[in-house]
Amino acid sequence: MSTNLNNNNEVSFVPPFLKKIFEYIKSTPVWKSIFRVGYPDTMPKRMAVMRSSFYMHIFPTKVGMHGMKIKYGWCMGGITFFLFLLLTITGILLMFYYVPEEHRAYNDMKDLRYVVPFGMILRNMHRWAAHGMVFTVILHMIRVFYTGSYKPPRQFNWTVGVLLLLLTLLLSFTGYLLPWDQLGFWAVTVGTNMASATPLLGYEGPFSKYLGIQIDNDIRFALIGGTRIGPNALIRAYVWHCVGLPLIATALMIFHFWRIRKDGFSGPM
Amino acid sequence: MDKENEFEKRVSRRRFFNITGWTGLCAFLGSSGVAGARFFYPKILYEPASTFNAGRPEEYTAPAGNERVVVDERWKKNQRVWMVRNREGIYAVVAVCTHLGCTPNWFPTEVRFKCPCHGSNFNPEGEVIAGPAPEPLFRARIELAPDGSMIVTTGLLGIRRANLQTQKKTLGVFWTEEEKEVIWKPPYFLQLKA
Repeated sequence: MSTNLNNNNEVSFVPPFLKKIFEYIKSTPVWKSIFRVGYPDTMPKRMAVMRSSFYMHIFPTKVGMHGMKIKYGWCMGGITFFLFLLLTITGILLMFYYVPEEHRAYNDMKDLRYVVPFGMILRNMHRWAAHGMVFTVILHMIRVFYTGSYKPPRQFNWTVGVLLLLLTLLLSFTGYLLPWDQLGFWAVTVGTNMASATPLLGYEGPFSKYLGIQIDNDIRFALIGGTRIGPNALIRAYVWHCVGLPLIATALMIFHFWRIRKDGFSGPM
Repeated sequence: MDKENEFEKRVSRRRFFNITGWTGLCAFLGSSGVAGARFFYPKILYEPASTFNAGRPEEYTAPAGNERVVVDERWKKNQRVWMVRNREGIYAVVAVCTHLGCTPNWFPTEVRFKCPCHGSNFNPEGEVIAGPAPEPLFRARIELAPDGSMIVTTGLLGIRRANLQTQKKTLGVFWTEEEKEVIWKPPYFLQLKA
């Protein structure tokens, strides 16, 4: 009986012809361009894997043991990012059926629930992931606060994180109007009326009368494209929700992750 | 030393291009920013007209018996206005809560307007009797057309608190004495013969 011994003199159960195929595949330029370093069995090789891979390079090359503990961070930032990806994918799919037009928006939302194949689970995934993202982003912030991870040298990343929290809330707010139902309509009526109380820029805010600010040239007017919530407000909420805010959030997220790489994980408590 | 060299000494070519280049870039970015901000302010609005014909005053029932007012809701859905008939005449109340802009409802048995969003209550004159609203409900202007029908203006001129344009803004949940002199006269109140 012949046994196959590999380089380390261990018994291998892989038939020789399969081995030859594997070796051929590993010698192709395609394989080599994906797996550039080889099996990462040494520390320099492991660091090289992180450095040379586009997908892995958002992680640090080296993380302290404390940073790997689930208890330390609960992976709340990671879950938030995962939910953002989920929201992007389900959101793009919803865009294939939903039209942000006064007479269609509500009916399209109902169609998504009752007519479109898998529409209900798509819409519900989008909705619950949105609620979940607000929840996890706040837990992430609380964790960063309680572990003191906002302190120098990470103070600037805390600021970026606050902006990302704000963008998450704005994404939720603009998405709230899109079903064009009573709940969202009046919530956005109330929310944008608060903008009219902005100092200097809102027509009901302090000092704005000295600038000649009226109902038809204040900040609320720019937000909703009119003096009342109507078709202009719907299309504006849609474009900010689907394009504007996600682009800004993505740019800030790239920055957020890059800063984590540069600053390293915060130490144990 | 001729004049050209003198100039070049003070402003070198590198410095000249540096200044003009940065000035040009700043001018471009600045004007783009202003244009971008201006872009978000539409010139034309396709919103419902702020003026409508509310018919003749005789079409509205006058209060009878113990009734203080009769609130007519026929324009509420399309124009967001109540036509309120009291014993002396008729006035138009804008159905926009002064708190954050929801539409209140009229409860005849309780003789008050109630806002479903945050619970503001208003009496038939529009004064706040409960809740967070900071000022009374706005009055719309009523003008009589030559044929005797009422032209109601709810837009920019009409919806602001009756005397806001002319007098100093004073927030209060009840009409002040000065305001009462304004709101019970034309164009905010249409006196009718008994």
